[in-house]
Amino acid sequence: MPSTELESARFTSVDWATESGGWRSVRLRTAGLAAALLVVAALFAYDYVVAPRELFEFLDWDVTRIDWLFLVSTVLFVRYAVVPLAANRDRAAAYTAEFVRRPAGVFSLAYIVVFGVLGVVGPEVFGLARVDFAAKVQPPVFASVNTDNIRNYDCVGRMVGEYCHGTWQYPLGTTRVGEDMVKIIVYGVRIGLQLALSAAMIMVVVATAVGTAAGYLGGWVDDLLMGYVDVQQTVPAIVVYIILAQMYLGKGLFALALVFGLLDWGGIARLVRSEAVQRRSDGFVRAARSAGASDLHVVRKHVIPNSTATIVTALTRQIPLLVLAQVALAYLKLNNVAYRSLGEVLLRGLSANPVAWHVKWWITAFVTLFLVLTVVAFNVFGDVVRDVLDPQEEVA
Amino acid sequence: MAGPLLSVDDLHTQFDTEEGTVKAVDGVSFDVREGETVCLVGESGSGKTVACESITKLVPRPPGRITGGEVRFDGEDLTELSGKALREYRGGRIGHVFQNPQEALDPVYTVGDQLVEAIRLHRDVPKAAARERAAELLDRVGIGDVSERIDDYPHQFSGGMKQRVVIAMALACDPDLLIADEPTTALDVTIQAQVLRLLNDLQDEHGMAMLFVTHDLGVVAEIADRVVVMYAGKVMETGDVYQVFEDPSHPYTRALLECLPGRGRALDTIGGTLPDPTSPPDGCRFHPRCPHAVPECETDGQPGFRDVGGGHDVSCLLHDDRHDLPRAMEADDD
Repeated sequence: MPSTELESARFTSVDWATESGGWRSVRLRTAGLAAALLVVAALFAYDYVVAPRELFEFLDWDVTRIDWLFLVSTVLFVRYAVVPLAANRDRAAAYTAEFVRRPAGVFSLAYIVVFGVLGVVGPEVFGLARVDFAAKVQPPVFASVNTDNIRNYDCVGRMVGEYCHGTWQYPLGTTRVGEDMVKIIVYGVRIGLQLALSAAMIMVVVATAVGTAAGYLGGWVDDLLMGYVDVQQTVPAIVVYIILAQMYLGKGLFALALVFGLLDWGGIARLVRSEAVQRRSDGFVRAARSAGASDLHVVRKHVIPNSTATIVTALTRQIPLLVLAQVALAYLKLNNVAYRSLGEVLLRGLSANPVAWHVKWWITAFVTLFLVLTVVAFNVFGDVVRDVLDPQEEVA
Repeated sequence: MAGPLLSVDDLHTQFDTEEGTVKAVDGVSFDVREGETVCLVGESGSGKTVACESITKLVPRPPGRITGGEVRFDGEDLTELSGKALREYRGGRIGHVFQNPQEALDPVYTVGDQLVEAIRLHRDVPKAAARERAAELLDRVGIGDVSERIDDYPHQFSGGMKQRVVIAMALACDPDLLIADEPTTALDVTIQAQVLRLLNDLQDEHGMAMLFVTHDLGVVAEIADRVVVMYAGKVMETGDVYQVFEDPSHPYTRALLECLPGRGRALDTIGGTLPDPTSPPDGCRFHPRCPHAVPECETDGQPGFRDVGGGHDVSCLLHDDRHDLPRAMEADDD
C-alpha cells in the first residue's frame, strides 16, 4: 500500500554517510572477465615461452593464432551474451518462449545451438576424417553408386550388380579418398564457428565503438568517422585479405578473421550509428543525462543495450557471408585450414577423378546443403531476433 | 541563504539549423526562491522547455548553444561549469521530470534498476541499500505492491504509473529544485490531478523548489506561487499568481486567460500563430497578434519591464506613461 499520509518517509532521513560503502563495489562480472582474460594471457605467455609446440605435454594441442583469437572471442561472448542471459533468467525465458512460438524461430535457434555445440566439441566427439582407400566413394545411406568405372573399389555395404549401396557406417557417404562426409562437415562447422566468432567479435567491438561515437556525439566526429567508413567500404576486404595473406600473414584462418574483422564492419557501424542517433533523442537518454549520467555511462547503459537487436541482426547477416567467403577462398586455394576445408572438399568433389562429379553427387550436394542451411538459418535467426529482442516493440 | 535558489539572468539559447539560427530563448530572466513553485507558461514553441533544459545545459549541442546569460544556482554560475561539475547538479541538486513518461524510462531495465542507477549516480552506496531506497521511493509516489512491481519492466506500467516512477527517479537524491517540464500533459485528466497532488505533497515534504512548465493555466492556478509568461523566447510578464490572474497586464497574458474554457463565454482563441522562429518581428514579439498594438510596438526591440505593483513586471509599452491604457485593458469586470 502506498503511504498516503504525509509522514516523512524513511528515505528522507537516511544517513548516507553510514550507508555508503566508501568505494564502488566492483561488479562480479567485471572481475570474472578480467580473470578469464588474464588466464588466457597467462596461457599465451606460457605457450609462447615454455611450450611453443604444444600447450601442455599431456594435451596434444598446438595452439595456433586462430585458437588464441577464438579463445579471447569466446571469453567476450560468454561475458556479454551468455552471462547476461543467464543472470536474467526471466528475460531469457521470455525470449526463448517468444522464439519457440515461431516455427522459423525454433528451426533457426535449434540449428544455431547445434552449430555452436558441434563447433566446440564436434571434431573431438566425432573424430577427424581419415583417409581410408578401402572406403573410397561410398554412397550415402539409402543411395547407391555405379561402381563400374572405379578401379580397386571395395563396397562397404551391399553390392547389387554394379551398384554399391550406402550404409549407416557412412550416412553421408565418403570422398574419393574415403573420408567420412559427416566428419568433414562437422569439421566445417568448427572452422565456421571459429571464423565467425573471432571475426564477429572484432567487428562488434569496432563497429559499436565507431557507430555509437558517431551517432551519439554527432557533429564533426560523425562526419569524420562516417567519411572513413565510406572510404573503407570501397576497399573490398577479400582483396586486402588476398594481398596480405600472400605477403605477410599466411593463408590461414587467423589472417581471414583478422582482415575481415578489421575491414568488414562498415555496414554494421552505419546501422549502429543510425540507431544511436535515434536513441540520443529518446526520453530515457535525456532522463539519464538529466539525472547526472556521463556520456560514457549513457552510451554503455542505455544506447548500446537498446541497439542490441540491430547489432545482433547485422551480425547474423555477416556471419554466413564470412563462412561462404572462407569456403570460396579455400576453393580457390587462397585459404588453408589446419585440416580440411569444405572449399577443398568441394573442389575435389567437382573433379572428374575417379568418376564424374554427378556420379559422386553427395559430396558436393551435402557441402552445398550445409552451406545453404547455415546461411538460411542465420538469416532467419536474425529476423526473429529483431522481432523478439527489439525493446522498442514493448513500448508500443 | 540570501538571494533566490535559482536565478536565471538574460539567458540566450539558440539552435543553428539549416533554415537559420533559431533564438529559442532570447534574454530570459526569472528567479526561483527556496521552496517556491514557479510556473513557466506559454504556447507550445515559446521556448519554455529550452529555457528549462538550458539551466543544467541539457540542450543537445550541436545544434543547441547557450550564447549568453547567467544561471546562478545557490550562488554558482552553472553556465560556467565543466561537464563533470555540472553532473553533480543534474539529478543531485536539480531533478528533472519530462513531459512524456512513455519515453522517459529505458525499456531494457526494470524500474527498480533504473531507480538504483539514478541513486548510485550520486550516492556511493551498495546496491542493496540503493534498492531499499528505491522501494521506499516507489512506495512514496504511490506505486502499490512495491515488492512485486519493483522488478517489472516499464512496458508493464500504465502512463500515470510511469510518470510516478519518473518522479521517483527525479527525487532519488533529494534535489533542492525540481524542474517539471509539462509532467501532466501526456496524462489523462483524472491522472493529471493525482500527479499534481503528488508533486505538491512531495514538495511540501522535501521543502524543495519547483520550476513547473505548462501551457495549462488551470494547472498554474492550482500549484503556482509565481508565474512567468513566455512568448516566442521572451518573458512577457512575471508576477505573483494572484496578481497575474487577477490583473493580467500584458495583452498576451489576457489573451491566454481568455482562452481558458469555463469563463462564462464562448471559447476565444488568439488570432494568428507564433512568429517565424528564425526571423522574429522587431519590437514587441507579440505585436503582430496584439489587439492593442500601437506603431511604437513595432520597433526598438522588446520593451523593458515595468513594475505595475508588488513585483509584478510587464514588458509592454501600454503601461508606459505616454500611453493611455485601452479600455479593454482596464480591470476586468466580467
